[in-house]
Amino acid sequence: MNHVDPAFIKGLTIGLGAIGPAIGVGLVGSAVVGAVGRNPEIQGKILSTAFIMIGLVDAVFAFVLLILFTT
Amino acid sequence: MLAPLFATQSLAAEKIFTIGPLTITNSMLMGLIGGAFVLAFFGAAAKATQLWPKSRFTFYVETFVELIFDMMEETFGDRKKTMRHFPLLITLFVFVLAANLSGLLPGFETIKLSVDGSYVSLFRSWTTDLNSTLAIAVLALTTVHVYAIRDIGPGGYFRHFFSGSLKNPINIFIGLNELFGEILRLVTLSLRLFGVIYGGEALLFAIATLAGNFGWAATLPIMFLEIFVCLVQAYLFMMLTASYIAMSTSHGEESESHSVPLNAAGKA
Repeated sequence: MNHVDPAFIKGLTIGLGAIGPAIGVGLVGSAVVGAVGRNPEIQGKILSTAFIMIGLVDAVFAFVLLILFTT
Repeated sequence: MLAPLFATQSLAAEKIFTIGPLTITNSMLMGLIGGAFVLAFFGAAAKATQLWPKSRFTFYVETFVELIFDMMEETFGDRKKTMRHFPLLITLFVFVLAANLSGLLPGFETIKLSVDGSYVSLFRSWTTDLNSTLAIAVLALTTVHVYAIRDIGPGGYFRHFFSGSLKNPINIFIGLNELFGEILRLVTLSLRLFGVIYGGEALLFAIATLAGNFGWAATLPIMFLEIFVCLVQAYLFMMLTASYIAMSTSHGEESESHSVPLNAAGKA
């Protein structure tokens, strides 16, 4: 482990870092579909909350990109 | 391969010129331009507004403002309170949105200027500098705390963190935790906006370079994703500020005030 290729580390960063946000966005998506199916009349409200949640989850992936591109 | 590629785009904003002791960076310049643009845009709309809007432009701007106002009214659950906080919130939204979207315009990161023997880009979108996002987060959170002290008084403000009997050490610990959470809000609010926009622009840059001659085609889907992300982040910034204000200026019955608009919508 004296010399590790930086490209390898970068690949691992994006690969492992994408797992969490991907699961998070998937959970948000499934919850939104379920909620809209149950009460379609407040679809707009549910979607606006969902966008907030996606924005929060997405930020984690943005940090991964930030680390990837700045190191 | 990636290392020389990103040597051109530094994490910090670059200096382009100085006015006396003040250093003007390229992101500050873009912030000024963006602010002037937003001011001119909404000033023109405000000037042309009337009871029966004749110009189509004014009509669309009014519709947009109305839409945001309704969203805020849902968050606050009180029209008077919304009227008081609305100017700051819509300014945050529109200005952050303009700053975010400006990074997608042509000419950014491509028009270079020679300063002190090195080439720096003339334009850099305002939110891709951590100083700017930290500044706007400090502004938003200072407003939250000032309004909290004004609305519920210093005692109530103190009680907001340290609730219950102070003889119980667990309450002091919870209060300290809450105070730490306030600082964490500042960090997350600024770092999220910066990270998302900077990461997105770096991604566009990388895709364009990797695609070579077909950069125009490869960046198109990423560009649409970026527009969506810019919108979501500006909306999120406004929405988080609004919910912080709503949470800290209520008299401890947050759960009640939050559930009222939901119930009203459920019945409708």
